Amino acid sequence: MANQQQESHAEWLARLAEESKAKQEKFMNGIAKRLGHPRMTSAPAHPYRGAPDFWKAYEWTPEERIQGFTDNFLSVGGHVARLESLADAAAFIAGKAEEMSARTVLRQDDPALAELRLEETLPAGASVSVWNSDDESQWKTVAAGADFGVVQADHAVAYTGSVTVLSASGKGRSVSLLPTVLFIVIPVERIKTRLGEVLTTFDETGREGLPAGIHFISGPSRSSDIENDLTIGVHGPGIVYALLVG
Amino acid sequence: MSGPVKGGATVKARAELALNDEFLRKAVRFTTERLRNGKKKASEEHGNWEEWRERGRQIRLHTIAHLDYYLNLFVNNARANGVHVHFAETAEEAVKLTLDIAKHSGARSVVKSKSMVTEELHLNHALDSIGVEAIETDLGEYIIQLAGEMPSHIVIPAIHKNRYQIAELLSKEAGYELPPDTTALAGFVRKKLREKFLEADIGMTGCNFAIAETGSMVLFENEGNARMVSTVPKTQVTLMGMERIIPSWSDLEVMATLLPRSATGQKLTMYMSGITGPRRSGDADGPEEMHIIIVDNGRSLQLGDPEFQELLNCIRCGACLNACPVYRHIGGHAYGSTYSGPIGAVLTPSLNKNIAEWDDIANASSLCGACYEACPVKIPLHDMLVYLRRRKVESGHGNKLESIGMQGFASVMGSAKRMSGIVKLGKLGQKLVAKDGEIRLKLGPLKGWNTYRVTPSLPKEAFRDQWPTLESELRNELREMKPDMLERMKQVAERQKQGGGGGHHG
Ligand code: SF4
Repeated sequence: MANQQQESHAEWLARLAEESKAKQEKFMNGIAKRLGHPRMTSAPAHPYRGAPDFWKAYEWTPEERIQGFTDNFLSVGGHVARLESLADAAAFIAGKAEEMSARTVLRQDDPALAELRLEETLPAGASVSVWNSDDESQWKTVAAGADFGVVQADHAVAYTGSVTVLSASGKGRSVSLLPTVLFIVIPVERIKTRLGEVLTTFDETGREGLPAGIHFISGPSRSSDIENDLTIGVHGPGIVYALLVG
Repeated sequence: MSGPVKGGATVKARAELALNDEFLRKAVRFTTERLRNGKKKASEEHGNWEEWRERGRQIRLHTIAHLDYYLNLFVNNARANGVHVHFAETAEEAVKLTLDIAKHSGARSVVKSKSMVTEELHLNHALDSIGVEAIETDLGEYIIQLAGEMPSHIVIPAIHKNRYQIAELLSKEAGYELPPDTTALAGFVRKKLREKFLEADIGMTGCNFAIAETGSMVLFENEGNARMVSTVPKTQVTLMGMERIIPSWSDLEVMATLLPRSATGQKLTMYMSGITGPRRSGDADGPEEMHIIIVDNGRSLQLGDPEFQELLNCIRCGACLNACPVYRHIGGHAYGSTYSGPIGAVLTPSLNKNIAEWDDIANASSLCGACYEACPVKIPLHDMLVYLRRRKVESGHGNKLESIGMQGFASVMGSAKRMSGIVKLGKLGQKLVAKDGEIRLKLGPLKGWNTYRVTPSLPKEAFRDQWPTLESELRNELREMKPDMLERMKQVAERQKQGGGGGHHG
């Protein structure tokens, strides 16, 4: 029965795909006709690709980047700690767990985060789970119930005060989204000056190499929808710590 | 107070409703002022704003001029990523596709993040008709959904509600009394919607940009609800206007520089997400099935039309609303359509292919050019407003008043030099916006409008009694008018005087 149902779903998708492909030609031909040129099948020269040249040359020193990132992140209500080592980062997270009585901590499956050895440093009574480390758990539910989420930034941008997290099987999109408090470990050498320095890497990687989720995070979730009054922590984490390590 | 009544049938009536709500007027003015100042500060701090605007414009112009290539590339890449891509030429087709997906997914509920396209399609209503609950999850959108209303601003949809009204709405939803305190209210919504996210079968999103070269879609947001709907439910459905394309991630840097700064004055929204296909085989979150519906619904009518093609460059930042003295005075609902403000005044009649009946909205603009100045991709909205009027007159739908309006504009402009300076230009705005102290708008026959309800507030003052406020406001606006703006207005008037022929009709 289940099998049969699945099959009909697949058949339905296949039918839609056929319809879509037929329509695609009509759609594109219609656009070309309106634009008054024959269907374009090869890439046109794009002389204005990306940021203006003067901007591409803009660069901060490593210290300026750390400072710039810090200022920007603080200005939107995020928290920043400058730490020397992963051990310090672990101690920092443990301190916050103590302070906020955190019971459940969820971290990405990442070698650097394993090095934090949170299982040992966290106060007694706090449990640590590692994203997608077994097939049985409902990982989204685990994330929704977590007090702390711990992730490592793949990139960071000083000029906008943003970090980038990329999804993978061991790195759930939920870990930086569903917990109440978020800790982002940022090795300082990953902080670039401009957004473009990170974005162009995705062009270089190309379609096939991209993860399903690329998320730039620039601070705590927020809204000004009620009477222009700033509210922090609407859907995503309301408390976000950027831990600059190194 | 009696129950809610239907909104006024005419733009004028709606403007009166809006103008008689003291809170609304103040809220709109305060919010637009806040956003406008934010943009000013952010663009000045960033520097070289004109270069960035020009770059943004060039990227959009280039993409739209080669849209058949880039859209096709996007579609092929998205398919290769495992996305089910669909095409909808009309709103009906888009709705039909969405309902088909909802039925086949056995969906009982859909969680939605903000999407102007779904507003345009009245999708919530359609889902409701097949027994699927559609839940708006953007805080402001959620509030107006509970109130059964339409968004009044692209960026801040519940700009017209105060926290007492919001507390009342949410208390009804909660089943207990909530205090009129923003933190408490937002806290309730967070909890309530958490359940909805985890329960929902489908997550529905809009799309800020679609990257042709990798088939990725990009979402900008502050709350995290767009991430929720694209991470938690099993199926993701994205509705995207066919013009949302940019070529590459490198080009996204320019859009990411312009959009948040122009919309809210932020350097970047709290979240910017690039989604490339459904979850990978080893992933434990993200949608298992992902659909993108590419919607035309009148957009392609702008292609190849030299006067209006640039409309497709719009990145929906809302800066032109915040800059517009008329919008700031009457608020979004007076426009009576999904898109309000200067962009709405031009886009709505263009999408509806119905110049004859719609350009009354175009008249609710002062042609001062502030919208163009504000626009991060330099869309000449003020010129388009003039083209719209001319087309109406040319197509035989204009009446004497319209023509007189045009002449008035031309003659005032023609003699602008002799007139004693800019203050008189305030009168120009008045001439165009108003006749006999009333906004010169007649019928706006709106299908969608019928679904919109407003809480009645007894009119205490007629709109014309408030005219002096608008007039003085416009005068202040125009006093700040830059010389090049003035020059542009003169040129438009000049063209009008010369007969303004050469229009392109569909
Ligand atoms: S027309 Fe320009 S200013 Fe108005 S919403 Fe579109 S991009 Fe923004």
